[in-house]
Amino acid sequence: MLTSAHMMALTPVILVCATAVTVMLGIAWRRQHAATALVSILGLNLALVSLYLVYSAGDVSTPLLVFDRLSMLGMVLVLASTLACLTMSHAYLEGYPGRKEEFYLLMLCAAAGGMVLVASQHLATLFFGLELLSMPLYGMLAYTYRDKRSLESGIKYLVLSAAATAFLLFGMALLYSQSGRLDIAGLLAGLESSGGGAWALAGAGLMLVGLGFKLSIVPFHLWTPDVYQGGPGPAATFLATASKAAVFIVLLRIVMVAPAFHVEWLHTVLGGLALLTMIVGNLLALIQTNLKRLLGYSSIAHFGYLLVALVVADGLAVETAGIYLITYLMTTLGAFGVVTLLSSPYSGEDASALHHYRGLFWRRPYLAAVLTVCLLSLAGIPFTAGFIGKFYIVALGVEAGRWWLVGGIIAGSVIGLYYYLRVMVTLYLVEPGMRGRDAPDNWGMKAGGVVVLGLALLVIAFGVYPTPVIDWMSVLTSPVH
Amino acid sequence: MELAFYLSGLVAVLATLGVVTGTNAVHALLYLIVSLIAVAIVFFALGAPFAGALEIIVYAGAIMVLFVFVVMILNLGQGAAEQERIWLKAQTWVGPSILAAVLLGVLVITLWRGNTGLVIEGETLTAKAVGATLFGPWIIVVELAAMLLLAALVTASHVGRLPSATSGEHSGGDQ
Repeated sequence: MLTSAHMMALTPVILVCATAVTVMLGIAWRRQHAATALVSILGLNLALVSLYLVYSAGDVSTPLLVFDRLSMLGMVLVLASTLACLTMSHAYLEGYPGRKEEFYLLMLCAAAGGMVLVASQHLATLFFGLELLSMPLYGMLAYTYRDKRSLESGIKYLVLSAAATAFLLFGMALLYSQSGRLDIAGLLAGLESSGGGAWALAGAGLMLVGLGFKLSIVPFHLWTPDVYQGGPGPAATFLATASKAAVFIVLLRIVMVAPAFHVEWLHTVLGGLALLTMIVGNLLALIQTNLKRLLGYSSIAHFGYLLVALVVADGLAVETAGIYLITYLMTTLGAFGVVTLLSSPYSGEDASALHHYRGLFWRRPYLAAVLTVCLLSLAGIPFTAGFIGKFYIVALGVEAGRWWLVGGIIAGSVIGLYYYLRVMVTLYLVEPGMRGRDAPDNWGMKAGGVVVLGLALLVIAFGVYPTPVIDWMSVLTSPVH
Repeated sequence: MELAFYLSGLVAVLATLGVVTGTNAVHALLYLIVSLIAVAIVFFALGAPFAGALEIIVYAGAIMVLFVFVVMILNLGQGAAEQERIWLKAQTWVGPSILAAVLLGVLVITLWRGNTGLVIEGETLTAKAVGATLFGPWIIVVELAAMLLLAALVTASHVGRLPSATSGEHSGGDQ
């Protein structure tokens, strides 16, 4: 049964859900765009504050959910990304002719799902968290459904995500039939004592397919560019940041908690997937002429790098994964934020083709600077956050002697540098008479502008002085259980 | 009980094959109903009568009937009567009927032999036990399901909305 300590630990999730319900009731009473956005942001901030209180109260574990340092990290990442996305959606939706308020409701539901997912230690909460994270995303991606591309991206994600969920469920059923347990620790212990076998192997493989789809790891990545391109800016941002971070953290938990996962074949499979993901992601990004697609492929490649932490899975692996995830989130939020701001307020398809960005520096110097910093960080140039993350990943790979993966990271980074620089060059090209869609003049005053500017500053600050974040992460590596 | 379990399982697989290979929506739905009922019998055989009953009431009952009605309503039109006649051909209904007959046979044999309430392994899971689990330690999952349904409902109501009058376009009515 749930005790008051459990309820205390659940407060952040409850607060987010309560905010969603409040937004729903608000919509039923009177539609007010600004008020809805304000209530949502207020609720998320309250949840962040309560998260700090829960964190200082120490670890709590219910049969279904565990609130340890890793879940706290995951919840902070999900909440912070959601806050950034929400702030940007206000500016974005201002120009949307239809109903605007449901978007906030959906995003809050998805955030709650992500928080449950990172804290799950039971297949039931894992499944429901994942579904609660994905289900609202269908609606968010298809939100501007009168635009054909948005509708297409929503339906594409719905169908493919449902197929991936079927894989996940089938894998869970096979694992359950082998171990008779549904809690992750017990399930993996049961598998170990029964010696695995072909069915357990198949089950683990199917679950990997399901989770790999959500992370868009290479053979399961085909949906990513289309969905990113078609979805409205804030929805694509959420999909690329909060959703991926939550799924990755739950995968990290499974791999870390389970000694059963420390078998050679699994590491070989994960290593192969990681290598494939970073190379293919980077190669396909080369030929893109659309910034959102390019960022989509770049996020595929980055999750290839992140998988290295799972392949190594000891030593500094958790710390590395945490640091890389933080740098990835800051940078991706910034880059997608600029794309979203340039497309705000909504007026048809997002301004994401590369030619929209030609000469951006001469029209909107601050936005171009933010995008430049984010692209440099994605490429892993020193004095940006991306460099610290990549440094950790390479160090981890070298330490474990995974030379193929280290080679893959280096090759991927070199390819990456080319296409990131290509976008950067575009930003500074002068072309007279060129006019494109642009952020409103007072973008710096708007909350979204402040957010991307802050993110860019954070990226640089973390690149120059990473100590606080590294200290925070090293707390994570101290034994969790 | 083993017979009931395996036979119903076989019927479920065959009927589902019929669903995915069917080219006509109504025919596929007929197979789907048989498949769902077969799965329900599998649940009964496994000792989960509550899940089995829910499967029949909710899936085979409410949802499927709704599906069939909607598909039939959408198909109404000029050639509706002709369509009905085509549907009455033997090859349409003979497949689902055979599978349903097998299920009926399983049911009759089980009842006739008098071993109701038996399961192939383990003990029977009652509705009370299911409820106590759901609203005891699993209450979080129930609440999450509520949030999930809320999100699904909002998504459906938003995306399903026809272009409103405020935007000045009326493209509805062509479906």
